[in-house]
Amino acid sequence: MDFEVTYTPEQEAFRAEVRGWLSENIPADLTQPVDPADLTLEQYHKLRELGRRLGAKGWLYPTYPQAYGGGDLAVDVVMILEEELDRYGLHLPPYYDSGGRLGGASIFVWGTEEQKQHFLPPIFRGEWRTWQLLSEPNAGSDLAGVQTRAVRDGDSYVINGQKIYIGSLYGCEMMWTIVVTDPEAPRHHNLGWLMIPYDLPGIEVRPMELLTAGGEGGASPGLKHTIFFDNVRVPAFNLVGGENNGWQVATTHLELEHGGGGIVRRNRIVDQFLEYCTTTKHNGATLSRNPDVRDDMVDVYVKSEINRLFGLRTYWLSHAHRPRSYEGPQGSYYRKITALEIAETMLRALGPYAMTNDPQWGPLQGLLEHYQRAAVVGLHPGGTTDIQKVVMSRRIGIGRAAKEQAGRLR
Amino acid sequence: MDLGLTEAQEILKTAAADFVRQEYDKDTLIALENTPTGVTPELFRQVAALGWLGILIPESYGGTDRSLTDTAVLFEELGRGPVLGPHFSSSVLGALIVLLGGTEDQKQELLPGVAQGTTVLGVAVTEPNYGWIPDTVQMPASRQPDQYVLSGTKLFVHDAQAATHLLCAARTAPPDNGSGSGISFFVVKANSPGVAIRTLPGWMSQVDEIRFDNVRVPAANVLGDTPGNGWDILEAASMGAIPVLCAYQVGSCQAVVDMAVAYSRTRHQFSQPIGRFQRVQDHIIGAVNHLDAARWTTYEALWKLDSGRDARSSVHLAKAVTSEAYLKVCAGGHEVHAGVGVMREYGLILHTQRSRTLYHCLGDARYHRRRLADALGW
Repeated sequence: MDFEVTYTPEQEAFRAEVRGWLSENIPADLTQPVDPADLTLEQYHKLRELGRRLGAKGWLYPTYPQAYGGGDLAVDVVMILEEELDRYGLHLPPYYDSGGRLGGASIFVWGTEEQKQHFLPPIFRGEWRTWQLLSEPNAGSDLAGVQTRAVRDGDSYVINGQKIYIGSLYGCEMMWTIVVTDPEAPRHHNLGWLMIPYDLPGIEVRPMELLTAGGEGGASPGLKHTIFFDNVRVPAFNLVGGENNGWQVATTHLELEHGGGGIVRRNRIVDQFLEYCTTTKHNGATLSRNPDVRDDMVDVYVKSEINRLFGLRTYWLSHAHRPRSYEGPQGSYYRKITALEIAETMLRALGPYAMTNDPQWGPLQGLLEHYQRAAVVGLHPGGTTDIQKVVMSRRIGIGRAAKEQAGRLR
Repeated sequence: MDLGLTEAQEILKTAAADFVRQEYDKDTLIALENTPTGVTPELFRQVAALGWLGILIPESYGGTDRSLTDTAVLFEELGRGPVLGPHFSSSVLGALIVLLGGTEDQKQELLPGVAQGTTVLGVAVTEPNYGWIPDTVQMPASRQPDQYVLSGTKLFVHDAQAATHLLCAARTAPPDNGSGSGISFFVVKANSPGVAIRTLPGWMSQVDEIRFDNVRVPAANVLGDTPGNGWDILEAASMGAIPVLCAYQVGSCQAVVDMAVAYSRTRHQFSQPIGRFQRVQDHIIGAVNHLDAARWTTYEALWKLDSGRDARSSVHLAKAVTSEAYLKVCAGGHEVHAGVGVMREYGLILHTQRSRTLYHCLGDARYHRRRLADALGW
């Protein structure tokens, strides 16, 4: 076994190239707000510009074929890109693009060649930021029970309905969603998967007021919306995967949302919390020398290590194209549930300081205060903890001889 | 990065799994549980013939000199049984103590026999004042001109009944402010006059009390050239031995999860398999999460050790996670199996017993969590 990527001289040369390129292309005044809701429009534009530059090099969605705007890069090389961006506190892509990250994979697996040529290059080159539109007021965990309707009319579908917990700050270019294309067909065979331009007539985007806006993986959104469709006409070409096949298309992005791609990033909040405890004095003594706090630190560390290993394991399975089963949803479940436990432990360790982002009294510029909120909000995006356990059960084969297969990623 | 097993490890895993399945059926395991040694001479000879008792021992001492990860792959399969007996005490912990602490003569004298199964080591460290810190080792070794005299009690020693030789920690100097100095290992023949070994009764197996009554040990039987550094030897040997013990526990956890999944399909209540109930699913999913946490912390520690990295924090992490996981996995298994799970003939409680018996061995979860904090420099 080897838990580390070992790099060849060629790969190290690539790292040097990446490092040099990033130092030239990441603006010196790029800042990451502690609370993603504080991202300014100016900073957002800088991130989009960085995305377009990465995309022009094939580095924004680097594992996809160059023919579709990707970079044709192997997993080890992509790790280099991720590591180097992580030094700036950035991800791939560097802004919230759940629709591209998840929907790009679905189009790649299920789209016709013409659709791939049409939709993928702008996504993978960073020209479009894409939102995913899944939940509805009456379809959360029961996602296949969505009610938004798409009725075929000539060369178009006419969309009516409502989606919720959508998007991020500052809009997007493209959205995708699952809609009912045949209300008479049985469950899972009644849906369509549609790409929808953001600026079509009849679309209303209304901001929501939430504790904070969370997402499953990737950069934080900063804001969520309710979206209303009132007789929105979408070209029929935009239906990916064929009529009434939307649920199949969705299994690919749901697999990713359920953690099937794995994660190799460190948990910066945990790292900073631990460092804070070893460097901060309360009542004259360093926090980490207080036995109670020390126990709390171990608790946080152990859980974050298990998260790291689950993420690494799944990342390897998915990128080495090994058989996957319950590992994605396991990682997602464990990450969500331990985030909440870790936040509680931080609260115990630091007391009310953990709850304020006051410039004078809030530790780490309010990072921990935001984490208190984010850990609660983070329980639901990409599937609740209970849903992750439902998926795990089916794939392990608990109570059933036939094990459910993991969703296709390639 | 490659988190899969090597081809050689896959071959070893298959061979070990086949051996355990063929030779250690459930009835055999249950019959062995309450025997003093947990193994028959014939079964032990078979394991020796497969070369597995010398898996960590260099070829120059008659072993096959394989890596800790290879050893863990073997012990994970033994844990699936769970196979009882002195395999870990003798061929892993004992062998590592001799390898790291013994003189050349001592290695030549002991290790070939360990590899062949004719010498069996038992490691006697803990005493009535139980614990895994140096202060708890209080048994004196009184120096006489060319021998030492040992008197006292060792308690909760694993596999002493099976041992031909005990590696016994005793005081050659008084405790020095909590440091490990002053403790030495003695190689004591188990049949020496004055040694009395008794299996402890209760819900544990192959855990013993050893009384030393003026046991005379030649001075040459102090392990190594430097009396007083026994605790350092134990610490160094434990670094390698602990993750192998964890792998055994992982194998046992895997067996319990497999039993629970199988039972969730075949046991019907309310006209359906009980695994259709989400409350039952929760028990199994909790167990799977504990199992995988134990598995990956364990194998990462092994990888660090085998590749020469600083593995201290990873070893403490693995033991802290794994001993706790083992308790929780068995608890989940019992919640799924209910009454059937506590029938001796069903085989689940053998795992549950091991989860408790091994919980404290080489330090419990709480101890290793404290050591983890120290290793991280907090």
